Amino acid sequence: MNPDRSIPDDWYPGNVPENVTVHPDAYLESSYSFELFRSQTPEAIRIGRGSSIYQGVMFDLGKKAQVRIGEFSLMNGGRIICESDIEVGDYCLISWSVVLMDSYRVPQSPAARRRQLEAVGESSPRQLNAPAEARPIRIGNNVWIGFESCVLPGVSIGEGSVVGARSVVTEDIPPFSVAVGNPARVIRKLTPDEAKPPV
Amino acid sequence: MSTPTPNPEPAHGLWSRGPLPSNAQVGADTVILGDQPFKRFHSKQPAALALGTKCTMDGVHFAVGPEGRVKIGDFCYFTNVVLLCELEVLIGNYVMIGWNSTIADTDFHPLAPAERIADAIACSPLANGRKRPAIACRPVVIEDDVWIGPNVTILKGVRIGQGAFIEAGSLVTRDMPPRAHVLGNPAQVVGQVE
Repeated sequence: MNPDRSIPDDWYPGNVPENVTVHPDAYLESSYSFELFRSQTPEAIRIGRGSSIYQGVMFDLGKKAQVRIGEFSLMNGGRIICESDIEVGDYCLISWSVVLMDSYRVPQSPAARRRQLEAVGESSPRQLNAPAEARPIRIGNNVWIGFESCVLPGVSIGEGSVVGARSVVTEDIPPFSVAVGNPARVIRKLTPDEAKPPV
Repeated sequence: MSTPTPNPEPAHGLWSRGPLPSNAQVGADTVILGDQPFKRFHSKQPAALALGTKCTMDGVHFAVGPEGRVKIGDFCYFTNVVLLCELEVLIGNYVMIGWNSTIADTDFHPLAPAERIADAIACSPLANGRKRPAIACRPVVIEDDVWIGPNVTILKGVRIGQGAFIEAGSLVTRDMPPRAHVLGNPAQVVGQVE
């Protein structure tokens, strides 16, 4: 990141917001990732040492959102829909078009949703501004999430687990598990001993 | 000759690249954002796209074939949705559709292997005027107040009842009753919207 918070060789003419902390040894490809960023928390995003955030990633963060990404984690596209807290551990691999959402942003009741959509139709820029219910997401260390998977509000995924491509994770996944399907189910366990600690 | 304006200000609505097709109607205070929403809009129908008022179409692709017709009500909010229509897609009022979701009213290609070979040839640079074989299409209907999450796919012939809640990542192959809470691949009713 340049001193003026722009990104070297960025195709998008934006800056990294002031309340985003990027470790000097992390890689952030484009400021386009913050196009939908609206968080007003003091440290809305923290990206740790050695982590890479490629340009398809979109930080769709509401006013009170906080996102923590650990060390040596890699996100290659995908959408972080956050109204409360989303935590991604160290050594995580998160594939393209993965959705991590801690909130549905709108109530399930159609009547309440109508009022919000009427407000959106009159807002500029067009966005949902009503406070939303949210349940934090925790992705443990060394978790691998396959492409186009969704992690729903309130879900925790334990250390060392793998989520297969196009899975939808609706419930907690214990550590060292392989979970696949929509809704995702654990189909086998991994042996923690096999997992050599990274150097 | 006057200098062309890169982004002409349209009479109704806003779209960032190029003019609105002449057979598309857009209601008052509806905005169309994102790149090339009409890049794959080939409909020859007189009312090919009827879009209501106060809608937000952010990054939506209207991929509509020559026979296709799309109708969308008022107060709808879609984010990066791909609408693939060869016949008819009807969407009510107050419908939300999440990021990266796809709606298709067609199978795209025939199921039978021999017909698929004929289709591959007809789609090739060597088609030489050959017509494509018949392809199964059935209208998609999404009633009022439906919420559709991100990464959802809705296939041909599906009707989603009023107020249904379709969870993220669902693949909907069958009709869903009103106010159903829907999840999975293939999508199943898992509950009821209160």
